[in-house]
Amino acid sequence: MPTPIFPRKTSFAIATLGALLLLLETAKLARPFTLAEVIDFRPRDLPNVEPLPPMPPLTTPAGARKRPIIEANLIDPHDNLRAFYLALWRTELGAPGAITRVLHYGDSPVTADSITADVRSLLQQHFGDAGHGFVLIAKPWAWYGHRGVEVKGTGWRINAATQVRARDGFHGLGGVSFEGDTGASSRLTLAEDHARMEIHFLRQPGGGALAVEAGGQKLGDVETEGPALQPAYQTFALSAGQREINLSVERGPVRLFGVIFERNTPGVIYNSLGLNGGQVQVVVRYFDKPQWTEELQHQHPDLVVINYGTNESIYADYIERYYPGELRQVIASVQAAVPRASVLIMSPMDRGQRDSNSRVTTVPTLPRLVEIQRKIAAEMGCAFFNTFQAMGGEGTMARWYDSTPRLVSADFTHPLPAGARKVGVLLDQALESGYRQFKAREQRPALSAPVAQENR
Amino acid sequence: MLLTSAAYFSFLAAVFFAYWFAARYRLGALAVVLFANYFFYARWDLVYLAIIPTASSCDFLIGLALHRSSHNVRRRLLVTLSIALNLGLIASVKYLPVLPWVLPLALSFYAFQSLTYTIEIYRRDTKPAESYLAYLASASFFPTTVAGPITRISTLLPQWSKREMLNSQDGGRALFLIGLGLVKKLLIADFLAENLVNRVFDLPKLYSGAEVLAGVYGYALQLYYDFSGYTDIAIGSALLLGIALPRNFNRPYAAQNISDFWRRWHITFSNWLRDYLYFSLPGLRSRWKIFAYVNLVITMALGGLWHGAAWTFIVWGVWHGVGLAAHRWWRALHGNPRLSLTPGARFLCGLATFHFVLIGWIFFRASSLSVARDILYQISSGTISFANITPAFVAVMMVAAAAHYVPQRWYDGGLQLYCQFPYYAQAAAIAALAVAIRYVAGSGSAPFIYSRF
Repeated sequence: MPTPIFPRKTSFAIATLGALLLLLETAKLARPFTLAEVIDFRPRDLPNVEPLPPMPPLTTPAGARKRPIIEANLIDPHDNLRAFYLALWRTELGAPGAITRVLHYGDSPVTADSITADVRSLLQQHFGDAGHGFVLIAKPWAWYGHRGVEVKGTGWRINAATQVRARDGFHGLGGVSFEGDTGASSRLTLAEDHARMEIHFLRQPGGGALAVEAGGQKLGDVETEGPALQPAYQTFALSAGQREINLSVERGPVRLFGVIFERNTPGVIYNSLGLNGGQVQVVVRYFDKPQWTEELQHQHPDLVVINYGTNESIYADYIERYYPGELRQVIASVQAAVPRASVLIMSPMDRGQRDSNSRVTTVPTLPRLVEIQRKIAAEMGCAFFNTFQAMGGEGTMARWYDSTPRLVSADFTHPLPAGARKVGVLLDQALESGYRQFKAREQRPALSAPVAQENR
Repeated sequence: MLLTSAAYFSFLAAVFFAYWFAARYRLGALAVVLFANYFFYARWDLVYLAIIPTASSCDFLIGLALHRSSHNVRRRLLVTLSIALNLGLIASVKYLPVLPWVLPLALSFYAFQSLTYTIEIYRRDTKPAESYLAYLASASFFPTTVAGPITRISTLLPQWSKREMLNSQDGGRALFLIGLGLVKKLLIADFLAENLVNRVFDLPKLYSGAEVLAGVYGYALQLYYDFSGYTDIAIGSALLLGIALPRNFNRPYAAQNISDFWRRWHITFSNWLRDYLYFSLPGLRSRWKIFAYVNLVITMALGGLWHGAAWTFIVWGVWHGVGLAAHRWWRALHGNPRLSLTPGARFLCGLATFHFVLIGWIFFRASSLSVARDILYQISSGTISFANITPAFVAVMMVAAAAHYVPQRWYDGGLQLYCQFPYYAQAAAIAALAVAIRYVAGSGSAPFIYSRF
């Protein structure tokens, strides 16, 4: 039996390769590596992420010294959430018609009712369910969806403010306009009963008629003919079991913006108003201001959440030069339209990207954008929710991507359902904790005194 | 310890030198391999140091008992015990975790290899291992641990007795395969995954129909380059120790029909399913021909289920089972028409087969049936936008697709050329590759797709 001899050529090749790699590593041309890794018996699942850098201390404006910061990531030095908290208090007390209305404007995650569906569900569990709120009548994006409402529309020309926008800037409350000729139709299927629905449409010269059916029963028509372009609303009562709503254009053209579903019981209505690719500049540049103002005023919101920033976060120059001004304009528009409503600036979530070492790191300009939002919120008298920090700050997307179950998509931007729920819970916890502290602070011997005094 | 990590290659180099130092003594060589195997398992989780030797010893003893027994009932009981033990091992890790923590490495490939041993002895196709040490070294052979190729123990055992030096041709081939595997995995598969595929399969509704379709094509290439890249590294690693592992891929997307595909894709798995599952199912020898078709569907459905307890894998398995049964039925009616096909017809057959496989991959990759439905819906929507497809992604897709169809003689020529290089040129070529990987792929390599099965 022959005795094996040492395979010299391959051995030399391997030894030379090892030497070359050591040289390359010394020259920083190969991956950094230590031999200790070979005998590292730690569990394999540990994500390899950079430690969190400490956040700079937040300075509190002088006027706010007497007011405690009620939540670490919910900054409200000017007590701007007072209107919202008071509305919640009325709702909690169960006064007839005490509905707390929230309008949550956001970008792609909100388009799919991610985050907002969870906040809605949690707030409604604790304060009552006054209905689903606003829904578009067809899907401008396949991604569009609302938990608890199925949306199917055909034959509509869809003009979303972020894409093929309407030339007149009339995009309704939700930022999307639907124009249909005879035959265009929509079917909205609700998971639960509602007491009424309000159709948002545009009254216009030469406008046609829309037939409205619920549960196979015709409820009436919406005549959209009018002397001038004007946002309009028509309400229909829904009875128990009428969960399938059909809207069909009997005579075109008809232009719709969406439908709001409500109940009569006291509770919260949390309207999810997402725009794929949404940015503050879309609101500033492509929303017709008077029409949007009219839509906002019609809602009488108690809280308006402005939750943009993800799409802007990769444009460093834009963030420095134009973003602050455009954000101020959006806030000013909302404050002018609904001066009694609380306004909450909600920062974007963390957004990851692969760096040159293929590690997932936070987009470098994102913390700067969040800081700008925080400053402008304070300057304009708005509350600020630091989503980015609440979810873990820099490097969160790397951790979320490595976690089990995974919390974020492979684009390191869009949360998966479990991640969206986490953010929704964080926002809900911050708002409810703030509310409880507000109540404790405001409570006088007579429990309902502030509510009575400050009824809107 | 991922097979693409620096830690693995340091480990492999250490094993290589230790093995050939000890190779004068068979016992010494086996001891080195066994130590390396258990070290490799322990790097995944120390608990494997209890599981693997225990399970291997049980199978070794069952093998001996099977060989010694001539009592049919007893033999059946023994082989059933081995099957229960190994399937139980898979199930306990993958489906019904009995341990309070999740084990990082599924034991499917270990169990499949072990089953080849006891089932072959039961069928009297082979004799039990004469050496306990050789059996332990074979059953847990580290290059095959993560994702195969599923190697019959009976083909490994005689190789430990082979007293031959590693010649420079095989040594060169081993290094070439390892380098090729790294390119496939890190420069192609991971790039495609990170730059579109994963995103599309996470949230398909965010992307246009064209982008989703590109993502699905990308996944077909990613899966092939990921898995065949792993296999190349595994085969190369074993070859450095003078051990030949079976081939696992043979340009599968060039298949002319679905049966041909399964002769080219994950060859050791399809052979295992055929030899140890399909032939074991009842009815094949009956006069009812329908059993041959039904058993194909059952075999593939179970093959799908082996990948994970999810409806998506069952749909994938049934899809292939029905495809194989339909092809078999077609051949029964018309004979094998391949020989008479024109080049154009062959091209169309290849295209149709590829797209049949592609539809299956949608279910294989999707995290749920609703995601698979969303992907199919998006593709059928006909929406066209390429905003998320970068020129680099298109370039890598094209290179990957073209490389798949490289003629065998080109590949052989490249291999031959590399083997003829002097040792320092061989080393320099792989070092250059390491630098390219450093700059193109980065350090965040994902685990091999098949390491979770």
